[in-house]
Amino acid sequence: MDGDLELVIRGEAITLSSKRALYWKREQALIIADVHLGKPAHFRQSGIPVPSGLLTADLDRLTKLIAQFQPRQLIVVGDMFHHQDYNIDITTFADWRNLFDGLKIILVQGNHDRLKPLQYLHMDIELYKPNLTIGPFQFVHEVKEGNEHFFSISGHIHPGVLLRGRAKQGMRLPCFAMNENQLVLPAFSLFTGLDTSYCIDECEFYAIAGEKVFKVK
Amino acid sequence: MQIERTKGYKEILTWMENSGNKPFDFQKETWQKYNEGYSGIVNAPTGYGKTFSVFLAVVIQHLNKTSNKKEKHGLRLLWITPLRSLAKDIARAMQVVLADLNIDWKVAVRNGDTPVSERQRQQKQMPEILLTTPESLHLLLAQKNNSSYFEQLICVAVDEWHELIGSKRGVMTELAVSRLKGMRTGLSVWGISATIGNIHEALEVLIRGDMKKTLVFTKEKKKTNIISILPEEIETLPWAGHLGLKMANTLIPIIERSNTTLIFTNTRGQSEVWYQTLLNVYPDLAGAIALHHGSIDFELRNWIEDALHEGILKVVICTSSLDLGVDFKPVDTVIQIGSPKGVARFLQRAGRSGHSPYETSNIYFLPTHSLELVEGAALKAAEKRQLIESRVPMLMTFDVLIQYLVTLAVGDGFDDKIIFEEIKKTFAFSEINEDEWKWIMRFITVGGETLGAYEEFNKVVFEDGLWKVTNRKIAMNHRMNIGAIVGAVMIKVKFMGGGYIGMVEEYFASRLNPGDNFTLGGNILEYVMIKDMTVLVRKSKAKKAISPSWNGGRLPLSANLSAMLREKLSEAANGNSKDVELIKLKPLFDKQQRLSHLPKENELLIEKINTREGHHIFIYPFEGRLVHEVLASLVAYRLSRISPISFSIAMNDYGFELLSDQQINIDHENVRELLSGENLILDIQKSINASEMARRKFRDIAVIAGLIFQGFKGKKQSNKNIQSSAGIFFNVFEQFDKDSLLLRQAYDEVFYQQLEEPRLAAALERIKHSAIVIKEVFNAFTPLSFPIKVDSLRDTMTSESLETRIQKMKADMVRL
Repeated sequence: MDGDLELVIRGEAITLSSKRALYWKREQALIIADVHLGKPAHFRQSGIPVPSGLLTADLDRLTKLIAQFQPRQLIVVGDMFHHQDYNIDITTFADWRNLFDGLKIILVQGNHDRLKPLQYLHMDIELYKPNLTIGPFQFVHEVKEGNEHFFSISGHIHPGVLLRGRAKQGMRLPCFAMNENQLVLPAFSLFTGLDTSYCIDECEFYAIAGEKVFKVK
Repeated sequence: MQIERTKGYKEILTWMENSGNKPFDFQKETWQKYNEGYSGIVNAPTGYGKTFSVFLAVVIQHLNKTSNKKEKHGLRLLWITPLRSLAKDIARAMQVVLADLNIDWKVAVRNGDTPVSERQRQQKQMPEILLTTPESLHLLLAQKNNSSYFEQLICVAVDEWHELIGSKRGVMTELAVSRLKGMRTGLSVWGISATIGNIHEALEVLIRGDMKKTLVFTKEKKKTNIISILPEEIETLPWAGHLGLKMANTLIPIIERSNTTLIFTNTRGQSEVWYQTLLNVYPDLAGAIALHHGSIDFELRNWIEDALHEGILKVVICTSSLDLGVDFKPVDTVIQIGSPKGVARFLQRAGRSGHSPYETSNIYFLPTHSLELVEGAALKAAEKRQLIESRVPMLMTFDVLIQYLVTLAVGDGFDDKIIFEEIKKTFAFSEINEDEWKWIMRFITVGGETLGAYEEFNKVVFEDGLWKVTNRKIAMNHRMNIGAIVGAVMIKVKFMGGGYIGMVEEYFASRLNPGDNFTLGGNILEYVMIKDMTVLVRKSKAKKAISPSWNGGRLPLSANLSAMLREKLSEAANGNSKDVELIKLKPLFDKQQRLSHLPKENELLIEKINTREGHHIFIYPFEGRLVHEVLASLVAYRLSRISPISFSIAMNDYGFELLSDQQINIDHENVRELLSGENLILDIQKSINASEMARRKFRDIAVIAGLIFQGFKGKKQSNKNIQSSAGIFFNVFEQFDKDSLLLRQAYDEVFYQQLEEPRLAAALERIKHSAIVIKEVFNAFTPLSFPIKVDSLRDTMTSESLETRIQKMKADMVRL
């Protein structure tokens, strides 16, 4: 896609998609973070009315990504499921998952992922914890300590950037945050907030505005 | 029957005469009308025994009972007050009367400070008189079997009704009264109110339907003496907050001359700073000075109030926490720091001193920046003409209605037909239609508009013919969130070794680093760490410390005061002012005139100033910040329609600023069109949609309607999995449920309350007949523009594409 951004990280071709995902060409892997499936339904069960279109919007975007990249595998770096309850949103997701039975789904467990092992099995999701290493990359939900041996790809933070311009202009956007040793993905779900105070050493931000990804130093 | 002939009246009269008093005419009139079955509002200044007008009416009725049969105990009089601190003193006064008259009635207080054991005791056996807040009353309605508490109820009194009427707490009061009337036919409802511009409307709002109603006025007038404290030198670039502190030493002689002085500041942060400053310039005050605001420990506040009664304290620095009716006899002087922004508020604060009948209230006004001196002159003139503001009641606040219905469902459950009839009779919801009601019912029962997608929704369910909340956790969460005051999340501050000091905003705490010093409750504290939602500190020896900021401390200038301000400025421009304040300000006015222009009443000044920062336009309608916020968006919107442009918008009570990276095309050719009243409603609606005003209103709405939970008094958040933010909800509703009534309410709140549309239309009409003066100023800010320019609270408005804006910002970032 036009607005996407191509990078080379540790010799691997990587695409940053404006749909809040990352694509790793050699492994044909689509990588996303913080999907929080089941969050709207969990809110509704607790008596908080959340509009129904949220889940559909997230799943539609995922479907488009799959159509665009034709990945062999989907790697979720944590917080795929919001809550331990197997609620109606998860059923909807399970039905959606059945449409893509050729797609391998890998979940690197995050702090929110507390479904039962059988439930992951039922949805044909491979579970890894605390991390998964493929080639030069280590997939993990939250990077506790940096490690030079691997390049970490993680989530958890829901990073955002605050852009400032002349005449006191300002704008908050979701972003990828990256330095020499790690990359933090934006939260995939639209039902999430932004942390604009997040900063790692020597950090570069790749902000998402509409259908475009662009670098902010 | 004439009240004077009754047994009860005679007993009261004897009791009063024994202590050398006699009833005021308005008290007698209240007793008479109450006796005839009227409901109504008593309008009297503080210090004249407003409490006794309604309270003794109920006592007389009791004394007049002919039957000798011993009456069942139970609640007779429910007394609603807006402030917790008021209840205690009123209860004390009532107890004394009842004891003197040998009446076997109990008086009790029920609010957020009441211990659980005491609350449970009340629920077992209700006292005859219960003093409570609107929130605690709603909590009572959320109890099981609550209708049994009200079986003996004969009168509801709403004290300080003028404080409640313009807010969502007023709507909570209306709703609670509608329910009590539903349970008890023949219930009397009495309001007690200070003078406000719309006192007749205040009566219509509180006393509904075909009840017999009346207004009782006092003939007694309060005398107020207003003195502005003038600075020696006038700063010609006024910046909020700086001037006042330099003048701290001018307060010393005033304090020394007085018995006890109350110093009012507009924010908690200011009160902290003043406490430190006064101690520095006047160390002898140590031990005789105290600090009283809403974030200070409840016990300490109690102690301060008691000490005030006893005359132990020389000075108390306070915020609106001491605004209302408590009478502290030793207080004979009041100092107001910074503009009170409204005539009513100023006079109310003045009334804290010399509150006995026929005494004069003395109030000093100390400006925090030089331009505020003009407000001092305006306040005096407004007092002379008794231009008291109106408090406009809120309408169609669906968030409060949603909360109320869930409250009833958590309590005994409700019948939607009965409740719909009741709420339609309230003032706030008299315009509600069937569709809106159905939407609200769906919102709390199935979670929204489209069925099916919401099948897992769980909140209010139908059981045994009533709508109820059966899930205990949902009921508990709801009880913790009852209320319409939405504040920032507050967390406790404690010493390392234990000992509670007070509360600060979480936002403030999050920016502290270990070793930082800050002030709270008059202590200088060193931040150590945050643990278990508590800020841990130790005593600090530092001389300098930052003081916590509490958001939301900014009051807009009222319409009445704005009008006076324009008149005073015009006098200054014409050079015929006799006010000391304006004469003092001459250097500032001269500079304004030299650099640009000093507008007269029939002129509208527009200043164009270019700086490295960008292109500024300043427009000065002098209409108060609420009106300016909307007016600024309107002009920005109309300009942005001509060609793509982005603005940053700032405003104060005098005018507003549009700042852009591009040249702003405003000149004599198009200015009339930009400020015209044509297509006003439509353009305002569009400009509200394009700005962030509604988004800000939505914060409170989301909390009140139960979409997000407020941190509960610093308690650890146990609902992490269902915690979101108002901003996220706003986005989600905008994207997926645009027809939500809560979204519509957010836009309506801007439109009807903030904008005060008649006021805006009047402003535009006035501008239409004004001469427009456009001045270009080179490389300097004028005395009028400077305070706006340095204001950090800003709005944005844009018609440029996302791409263009980002390209520019990227380019700017490289340059900056």
